[in-house]
Amino acid sequence: MAAAAAPVANQAQAVLRGRLCDPAFVHSPLRSSPDTNYSKLKYLVDSSVSEACNNSVLLLGPRGCGKGAVLDMVLEDLKKEHPDAISVIRLNGMLHSDDNCATKEIARQLCLEHQLSFSKMASSDDNTDFMIDMLRECGLAHKTVIFVLEEFDLFAQGKQRLLYSLLDAMQTLTSQAVVIGISCRLDADQLLEKRVRSRFSHRKLLFVPSSLDGIQRLMEHLLMLDKDSSLPKNYVTEYNSRLTSIFGNKKFKGILGSLTDADATTSNILRFLFRVVSDMDMESGLLSMECFTHALSCMQRQPKLDSLQDLSILELYILVCMNRLEDKEQNSYNFNSIMKEYRSIQDAYKTSDKYATTVCFRAFEHLLDRELITFADSKGRNVALEYRPVKLLISSRELAQSLELNTTCPAVLQKLLDRERYM
Amino acid sequence: MDLSATPTRSNSKTKFSPSKTIAAAQMEFSTPSKPTPRRRSKPMASPPPMSPATPSTVRRSRRLLETPTKDLPETPAKDLAATPVKPKPTPTLKRKRAAPSPKTPSQAEPKRQRRLPKQRAHYRKVVYDGGEFAVGDDVYVKRQEGAESDAEDPEQEECRVCFRTSGGVMVECDACLGGFHLRCVRPPLRRVPEGDWACPYCEAERAGRAIDRPKPPAGKRIRRTAKEKLLSSDLWAARIESLRREPDGAFWAKVRWYIIPEETAAGRQPHNLRRELYRSNDIGDIEMETILRHCFVMSPKEFRDATNEGDDVFYCEYEYDEHWHNFKRLADIDDEPETKEDPSDEPYNADNDYVSDTDEDSEYDEEDEPATRCVARKNQSHGLAANSRTGRIYGLQKIGIRKIPEHVRCHQKTALEKAKATLLLATLPKSLPCRDKEMEEISTFVKDAICNDQCLGRCLYIHGVPGTGKTMSVLAVMRRLRSEFDSGALRPYCFIEINGLKLASPENIYKVIYEQLSGHRVGWKKALHYLTEHFSDGIKIGKQANQPIVLLIDELDLLLTRNQSVLYNILDWPTKPNSNLVIIGIANTMDLPEKLFPRISSRMGIQRLCFGPYNYRQLQEIITSRLKGIDAFEDQAIEFASRKVAAMSGDARRALEICRRAAEFADYRVKQLQQVGQTPSPGGNGAVCMGDIEDAIQEVFQAPHIQVMKNCPKFGKIILAAMVHELYRSGLGEVLFDKLASTVFSWCHANRELLPGYDTLLKICCKLGESKIVLCEEGTKHKLQKLQLNYPSDDVTFALKESPDLPWLSKYL
Repeated sequence: MAAAAAPVANQAQAVLRGRLCDPAFVHSPLRSSPDTNYSKLKYLVDSSVSEACNNSVLLLGPRGCGKGAVLDMVLEDLKKEHPDAISVIRLNGMLHSDDNCATKEIARQLCLEHQLSFSKMASSDDNTDFMIDMLRECGLAHKTVIFVLEEFDLFAQGKQRLLYSLLDAMQTLTSQAVVIGISCRLDADQLLEKRVRSRFSHRKLLFVPSSLDGIQRLMEHLLMLDKDSSLPKNYVTEYNSRLTSIFGNKKFKGILGSLTDADATTSNILRFLFRVVSDMDMESGLLSMECFTHALSCMQRQPKLDSLQDLSILELYILVCMNRLEDKEQNSYNFNSIMKEYRSIQDAYKTSDKYATTVCFRAFEHLLDRELITFADSKGRNVALEYRPVKLLISSRELAQSLELNTTCPAVLQKLLDRERYM
Repeated sequence: MDLSATPTRSNSKTKFSPSKTIAAAQMEFSTPSKPTPRRRSKPMASPPPMSPATPSTVRRSRRLLETPTKDLPETPAKDLAATPVKPKPTPTLKRKRAAPSPKTPSQAEPKRQRRLPKQRAHYRKVVYDGGEFAVGDDVYVKRQEGAESDAEDPEQEECRVCFRTSGGVMVECDACLGGFHLRCVRPPLRRVPEGDWACPYCEAERAGRAIDRPKPPAGKRIRRTAKEKLLSSDLWAARIESLRREPDGAFWAKVRWYIIPEETAAGRQPHNLRRELYRSNDIGDIEMETILRHCFVMSPKEFRDATNEGDDVFYCEYEYDEHWHNFKRLADIDDEPETKEDPSDEPYNADNDYVSDTDEDSEYDEEDEPATRCVARKNQSHGLAANSRTGRIYGLQKIGIRKIPEHVRCHQKTALEKAKATLLLATLPKSLPCRDKEMEEISTFVKDAICNDQCLGRCLYIHGVPGTGKTMSVLAVMRRLRSEFDSGALRPYCFIEINGLKLASPENIYKVIYEQLSGHRVGWKKALHYLTEHFSDGIKIGKQANQPIVLLIDELDLLLTRNQSVLYNILDWPTKPNSNLVIIGIANTMDLPEKLFPRISSRMGIQRLCFGPYNYRQLQEIITSRLKGIDAFEDQAIEFASRKVAAMSGDARRALEICRRAAEFADYRVKQLQQVGQTPSPGGNGAVCMGDIEDAIQEVFQAPHIQVMKNCPKFGKIILAAMVHELYRSGLGEVLFDKLASTVFSWCHANRELLPGYDTLLKICCKLGESKIVLCEEGTKHKLQKLQLNYPSDDVTFALKESPDLPWLSKYL
């Protein structure tokens, strides 16, 4: 039984992973209902294709809400509906926020799209003229040019020459063009310069994380296996019934709740589910509640706390000393004042953890490297390390937690910290 | 055959050395120089603008001097077919010449020309075989000598039932294009029906019934009209591009072929009209002999308006590229950017100009045929890049669509879609309401400046907030002046339009101006040098030597450099004597001159024109004038929109966009209903109502932050609330993350929430910072990170007051 199940489990895992990594599949339920951003965006772009008008749209929303994925779906579908009539120019604010570079890239992609030869040497004026000519010609040929500007806010810097010439061309020529800006900044349209803003047509689509119900539906859509897949029937029914019982479980609701309390975006959910699927029991090929709990704990890692775990005792001493100094409201301190505190502790408690200054300095440097402490200011680079003021980067709360968890930590340290622990 | 020809252009447009014959020109000045007015105006054919009829410039008379006046008395060769040395009539070559190659006859011609340069003459209009043919006319062309046995050409069509030509009004079937007498149709028609009409036979065929069409009486052959021959590809149609007389006396025409849908690669498409033709990009050289008579190929608008042009009316909306097999819409004339055609550009270069310097001959002819040149160049060097300056014009032929999409032609627009189309910013309104006074002022300013014999350098500064029609008004004025110039009421002038935001750097403006004036490209320093010479020292550039120049600089404030030298230089030119320069500057700020150095503001700040923001009545008028005849908007909806926009900015663009967006909302709603299967009720649902406008205004003017805050994850909400709380308590503008976190922890503790991890909180903060709900420092600062709210704390309170998942949050707010 087990031997037979293993390949089935492998197969099922591959199917599920394939689904999770395919944005088109993730967002496919959007196609059916009329009130989603998908159909609104599709209507907007489609109307400019079929009615020959210009538009500019902003897709706003936090990262990971599926702005790009929905746009890709829309473009994909429209390309199928109107073959040969749509060309997409993609720019990214991270790469092309420089105007000259952006116009060059536009010219390059236009050339590529229409099989024209492209010259790297052309000046930016030439490229701009070329772009405007192409817009006119494409308009005459009933072809739509769609400009996708990712990280739109980065284009809205400086004089915004690119946006101005694009939008101005769109309102003076009989072209068919759509400018789609994608940004996670909600105030992206406020960043536009006033003449650019006046030419922008201010369509905005807001993407927000879906509600708890929506997420549960999404999970079902992603994890439930099809009856008519290539997998064996009885396996699919068993898998699905297991999954339904998990979804109905109260504990699962709790897991989902604590996951979405922090981050309810689609990308986060997908990451979570990918973990879950990776933890699938390869013997039986079924998902269990443990998979979900384990995945949740993986999602809620606290990197700072983890890095506190494997510090040496001396390093913990230094951190505690720094914490004490901060509690004494000593705003500026450096390695030497930490050492003074350390010596006083050693004198008072007579522990076995007394080290030479050079050793302590090595530990101090190590802490700096791990970014648990940092320099208070960027001034005085040429001052010796010992004299530069430093700051603690972790809160006392985290420090206390890590001391509790650390089994090798001497009791003295806890006591030293305990005194000023609040809460 | 008689010949009354007026001397006209060679189809080359080149510069020539204006060296000799000027003195001689004055002598010939008395020759009547008025060009013959063209018989028909055909906007579609886009003839080059006529040269002004006003007392002409020196150059103009020079052309007259060298016009072969001796041609006129001479009787041209009677029998053209018998003329010995001429190449085979090119119509037969037509099919083979799909891709123009460097070896086309036109390339070979210059050599012949060089031998007999004086003999060749170009005409704008030729009377030949009783017909008058002018450049820009459409004609039928015989396909092959003697291929058509029925040489007689019935002007009158026969009725398909009684087979007689005379006998009352005939009506044309839209399907088979056959003519029918009103009385011959069963049942007989009283008058010509409105709209589409199909004859009973076609209707029967469409319904699937077999019906015998009436046969002609025995012995009588159906004579086919020229139109039918054309549509069955026994004739050709072409547009005359130029007319000339060869040295041997034969008349030749350079024509651009029309092509019927069947001959395209895509074949006849279902949406093609019966009378539809495509204009091809193929140019042929034919003898006048083969030209049959006129036909009329019209643009869609003319075709719709055409009433009694007879049977030879055709419809042409698209251009067909024979090389790439694709279609492109013919550009409307009014869409042509005005700046491209320099009004003062000598439209008809005398062909004899190139007699003087024959070395340039080959270049002329290359300019005639861009495709030829393109190919030739390609052989020379590695292919031409489309985005480079020289390559741009030629590579773009490729962009056409293989098949004209059906939705474009067959789609009946609803009222809402029509409204959307007219509200589009790109559609040029028929009238520009509410700016009459300002336009009048601009118009008088420009006229004053260019009409006086001595053009005083002047400067006009136009300011106003965006979207108040500054540029549009100036361009409209220039268009009007242009038409005045065409009708001969105005001196020639040169109009240059520059947009400050489209220049790569302020200094580039010199380069652009110089290029527009001379056609050459140089670096900006050199251009500045030449321009200074031009304007102050009187060493003129280019051929429009003494014409006044109207320079429109849009977004003038962008030309500001640190030492303001660009603005100073440009504004200094008009003050020079004999500069003949008029500058119109447009910018947003009212006090731009005051911000400049006094030496500049004294040069520009004298004459100013303010475009105030529109008030709601004006906006309403603008919108209603665009929507005239379209019943898609409720009246109070328009008023609401215009009042709202007038209160905010008075930006006409904004008002139009809001209305368009509202129309989109309504259209979307209607379409969704249609998908479900309901038909919208004709009254309320179909039109744009107040609700739609309100939605549109919401979308335009409101940042979506409240909605995003409402949809934040739970801890995000707690952080925001804690931030408001902290900021309120401390009274400072910003809060440390450490403090914020401890507040959040204590709240969570008190309200039995699951405690979030410290790092999780930090991550959420960074995410909020990304969407700029809060402003924060980079995450590496960890607990030292400073945070600040980006929106008023009232908004946060409003958004989080009643959140269902955190009922306890409201007590802290």
